Amino acid sequence: MLRFLVRRVLGALVILLLISAITYFLFFFLPSDPALLSCGKNCSPQNVALIRKNLGLDLPIWTQYWHFMVGIFAGRDMPIGHCPAPCFGYSFADQQLVWDTIADRYPTTLSLAIGGATVFLCVGVGLGLVSAWQQGRAFDRIASGVSLVGNSVQIYFLGPIAIGLFASSWHVLDRGHDPDWSHDPWGSVQGLILPCMVLSVIFWSNYSRQTRSLMVEQMSEDHIRAARAKGMSSRYVFLRYALRGAAASIITIFGIDLSAVLGGAIITEVTFGLHGLGLLSVQAVLRSDLPLEMAVMLIGATIIVVCNIVVDAAYALIDPRIRLS
Amino acid sequence: MRIRKARHASAFLALGALTLSAACSSGGGGGTGTGGGEGKQATVQNFGIGTAADSKGPAPEVPGAAKGGTAYDLDQAGFDYLDPGQQYVSDQLSVQLLYNRSLTGYKIDAKTGKTILVGDLATDTGKSSDGAKTWTYTLKDGLKFEDGSPVTSKDVKYGIERLFADYQTQGPQYIQKWLYGADYRKAYTGPYEGKEIPADKIDTPDDKTIVFHFQEAHADAPYAAAMPNISPVPKAKDDKQKYNNHPVATGPYKIASYKPGKELVFERNTNWDPKTDPIRNAYPDSWNFQLGIAEPGLTNRLAAEDGNDKYAVNLSGSSDPSKMQTLTTDAQYKSRTVNQYQPYVEVININTKRITDPKIRQAIMYAFPMTQVQQAFGGGAQGELGTTLLSPTVAGWKKYDPFGKLDKPTGDIEKAKELLKEAGVTGKIKLSYAYANTPRWQNVSLTLEKALEKAGFDVQRKAIDPTSYYTVVGKLDTPYDIYRTGWGADWPSASTVVPPTMDGRNLADGTNNYSFLNDEHVNSEIDRILAVTDIKKQNDEWRTLSEYVLKNDTSQIPFIFDKYFNIHGSGLGGVTYNEVYGTINPNTIFVKQ
Amino acid sequence: MSILTKTEAGPPGPGDPAPSGPFLSVRDLYVQFATEDGVVKAVDGLSFDLERGRTLGIVGESGSGKSVTNLAVLGLHNPRNTTIRGEIVLDGQELTGASERTLERLRGRKMAMIFQDSLTALSPYYTVGRQIAEPYMKHMGASRKAARERAIEMLARVGIPQPRLRVDDFPHQFSGGMRQRAMIAMALVCDPALVIADEPTTALDVTVQAQILDLLKDLQRETGTAIVIITHDLGVVANTADDVMVMYAGRCVERGTVREILKSPEHPYSWGLLASIPRLSAPVDLPLSPIPGAPPSLLNPPSGCPFHPRCAFAEEVGGGRCATVRPGIPEDERRGFACHLGRERKREIFTGQIQPRLGGGAR
Repeated sequence: MLRFLVRRVLGALVILLLISAITYFLFFFLPSDPALLSCGKNCSPQNVALIRKNLGLDLPIWTQYWHFMVGIFAGRDMPIGHCPAPCFGYSFADQQLVWDTIADRYPTTLSLAIGGATVFLCVGVGLGLVSAWQQGRAFDRIASGVSLVGNSVQIYFLGPIAIGLFASSWHVLDRGHDPDWSHDPWGSVQGLILPCMVLSVIFWSNYSRQTRSLMVEQMSEDHIRAARAKGMSSRYVFLRYALRGAAASIITIFGIDLSAVLGGAIITEVTFGLHGLGLLSVQAVLRSDLPLEMAVMLIGATIIVVCNIVVDAAYALIDPRIRLS
Repeated sequence: MRIRKARHASAFLALGALTLSAACSSGGGGGTGTGGGEGKQATVQNFGIGTAADSKGPAPEVPGAAKGGTAYDLDQAGFDYLDPGQQYVSDQLSVQLLYNRSLTGYKIDAKTGKTILVGDLATDTGKSSDGAKTWTYTLKDGLKFEDGSPVTSKDVKYGIERLFADYQTQGPQYIQKWLYGADYRKAYTGPYEGKEIPADKIDTPDDKTIVFHFQEAHADAPYAAAMPNISPVPKAKDDKQKYNNHPVATGPYKIASYKPGKELVFERNTNWDPKTDPIRNAYPDSWNFQLGIAEPGLTNRLAAEDGNDKYAVNLSGSSDPSKMQTLTTDAQYKSRTVNQYQPYVEVININTKRITDPKIRQAIMYAFPMTQVQQAFGGGAQGELGTTLLSPTVAGWKKYDPFGKLDKPTGDIEKAKELLKEAGVTGKIKLSYAYANTPRWQNVSLTLEKALEKAGFDVQRKAIDPTSYYTVVGKLDTPYDIYRTGWGADWPSASTVVPPTMDGRNLADGTNNYSFLNDEHVNSEIDRILAVTDIKKQNDEWRTLSEYVLKNDTSQIPFIFDKYFNIHGSGLGGVTYNEVYGTINPNTIFVKQ
Repeated sequence: MSILTKTEAGPPGPGDPAPSGPFLSVRDLYVQFATEDGVVKAVDGLSFDLERGRTLGIVGESGSGKSVTNLAVLGLHNPRNTTIRGEIVLDGQELTGASERTLERLRGRKMAMIFQDSLTALSPYYTVGRQIAEPYMKHMGASRKAARERAIEMLARVGIPQPRLRVDDFPHQFSGGMRQRAMIAMALVCDPALVIADEPTTALDVTVQAQILDLLKDLQRETGTAIVIITHDLGVVANTADDVMVMYAGRCVERGTVREILKSPEHPYSWGLLASIPRLSAPVDLPLSPIPGAPPSLLNPPSGCPFHPRCAFAEEVGGGRCATVRPGIPEDERRGFACHLGRERKREIFTGQIQPRLGGGAR
């Protein structure tokens, strides 16, 4: 296990380094020029040159990249002021310390992703289990119908409808707002219910279908029959034996879906007006805000890479045949 | 107006419009300026210069207004700059009215909407001498910063000195250039190395008086003094770039809390004395700006007005285009709709270096399908048909339509063909057409292409990435014949329109003369008019010159006067509009009790 | 060990009726599956008896209904698409139509099953020990700790070295033979009175095969368990069974003692089975003779004797009776066969044509 972790972490660092380099250098191949974008109404050549110098864009790209990467670990002194490690610099657009902005925004995205994933895993896997248990009966048929519909729904379509019904018309749920866990935990939960529900819809339908078919497949395995031949009850066999077998596959799917969950969180944030990394990354790209782009990109990639390692480790815990080495 | 370009373009990319439009100019002499429901009946010149009496506080009461409550603003973007020195675009211009006071300011009559320039910190709009080269301002009594310390003329001077520092790249540069010329940064590099601007440039003979000595005559200096950056900054609180997050208030509100990109809350500044302030009523006890609310959710919230959204307004952003249809047709929104001119004119620039024959340019003008393009642009609520190079929000504006575009708003194909024939064109004439690759301009380009093809042009459309659009079309050797740009005045005088967009001397990559017009007559007229010291006369002269360019050079085809369109919560009263900025005017707003 | 010894007299249990008649009695069993193509008659009127301490071998090709019969006994068929008619009586208790609860209590406790492929029949996700202990906890109400001790004891019993260490291994850490032993331990952990072994050694190599079969016999000797061995391997039957039932197309076509079936089979299908077994003693130049043709469709079984399309002697029966009249098998005799051929003719054929092929005869 330790060797596995060391190897995977080293591999992850290489991947992150590559991503950082690709992102940084690709940025300069794009046609939009951050200096031109932020010259406001004063785009005289002199002013643009000055802005370019202020942003550090007058240096060779390699030097800029080097400074940026060193800054992440060691901090750096910038024209605006000192930027302590982990330093992603100051935003080109709003002059805020990028790390402060990230620290301010990540709880929203994390809460949304965790909340949404919890909902869709519970609802999706739960529905799939009941469907498999009730295989062929009315519940199963209705559930697969609903899943099909859910699968084709889009967040930006569903979000406004959900807000309109639950928040504006019936006043039963909060329209969604940023969580503030330290000051208002209960309010944070309320503000996340609707966004998490909407985010989960596109996923749970998939998970319910996957879970159902995995369980049906598992239930026809020999060891299920053997367990029943031992006198174990159908429910016990279903939940202990079949689910254990299906869980490994579900976790694998979940691992692959992680980036999609983050993507879904972006759209959900935009739809509900939440201030998370998703909205931030959209703004970063729109405004050619390189430091913010880099930070969002690297942090997103780090989250995905770490989660993948965790998923692989979890996979090994679930399936004793897998040995990590 | 540059904002319009780069910022706007990029914003369209995804979220719709992160509308950070810029402020500008003023409306017509005859009160023809306003659109929308509440037509204005100005008997004296709108956007004119008020007297010392007009400059006295307090601001006239708004009928029905009451003090108290919290007003909300929903904003699609965040504020990149709260430092008044860096503020130029419209959302910043509107928010700074709450906490920042300049030497002069726009006083808007809540009943008539009539807008005049008055002294804000200053007792009047300034006294000129030496042929409008020297301008003298006297500060009012009782002006204080939020910490209670008095505002002196030294603080105003310091506020201007820091505009010369390297990091100050965003704000207007008029005063700096008027003092030192175009390369002003070489002459003075800001106060941080201990150097002051000498008294022969800016003099502060006492704590109340500040005197500007410009290199040339500037009749419109009172307007330039209304920009946010001509305002006091206490030297002790200035930490350069970081001042951006905690500007010191002189206005009725100060920052209570600020989470950049998320939320900005203002509370009352108890050291603001209403008796000194002729333009701010400051009825609400606090203002809460909710930032980074994506469209169309933002417009939906204004329409639904749940909870506190009942007291919400979107100061600077127009409603989401997808909601226009509902909001303009459903009568329930009418009482809370604001639909007014913004200071921009949408034009098609014709590259005069490539299309050298004015007859061909006029053929394009005649063929131009105003009505169809307006539809593709988003309809009448977003823009009115415009036929002049100046906006109705510029002082001295008058109707002018030399090509009869309003009589034949769908285009005069026959006349266009005729002109092409006169120009000796045989067969199809190639026309390369660049447009920013956004839904709006795609639609417009298709519409325009169709009409021009009918008139006998072979139109080749080219989509350009919106974030680099202005860079591409602003190059001297740009390979395109026609392309759209938008331009607006910074204040209600055409001196911020005609010289930058029509002066053909010193053409270079990235200037704002996108048609590359270089007409000897125009160039010399610009010099002559700039020297005129009577601002009213100057405005009339600018108008005449712009009409000459339109009729004789036809280097630009104006087609739309942009308009602000949005709704606000029904819990707000006294919602007025600032045509100079092109935004809602927060000064008169009150929360209905 | 103590429990094993104690239960030699027969498994105790609440409501255990006094043994009267055969321990397991199957009468007129029909098992049918509804499929998309129609009704599959997997078991078609089968009857047999089994007494305590005895071993019944069921032989036949794949699809002859061997396994289905035994799944029906355990009640492990899929109730949604399976119809069962007839009578299955275990130790005086009627099993057809019994509730799932009743069956759950009997399975693993009174009747247990050993599956063919231990790799797939053991869950890969739980340790061997846990899988053995599970039914013991459920049926005997044992604590986790006691059940674990029992699992170790059972592993030792089936000959797993170092059982205390191996009890926490996962199935994939066992060799094939060890896994099969573990599965036997799992089946026998509650001392069932009936063990059904479905091809218990097919997947194993020959030496291991013999060990496993010896193990089963030893266990039977100790506990008096009744065993059903399902196999297509007559060698296995010869080693272990007391009685043999030959199945074809869901029916019993011949039954008798193991000696009777191997030495003097009476049914042409049994001849075929015997002839298809390679023997060391047979002349090397004599080819094996597999039974020609394919097993019959159970969706639409042949009329008359189901074996007649593949039978070499069907013409010898007059009036085409093989194709029209289903030959019966006497209900109450230990020895019986379902064939229209005359007894004399059969003896002639067997001695004249079949026996030479079998070389030295049955081992």
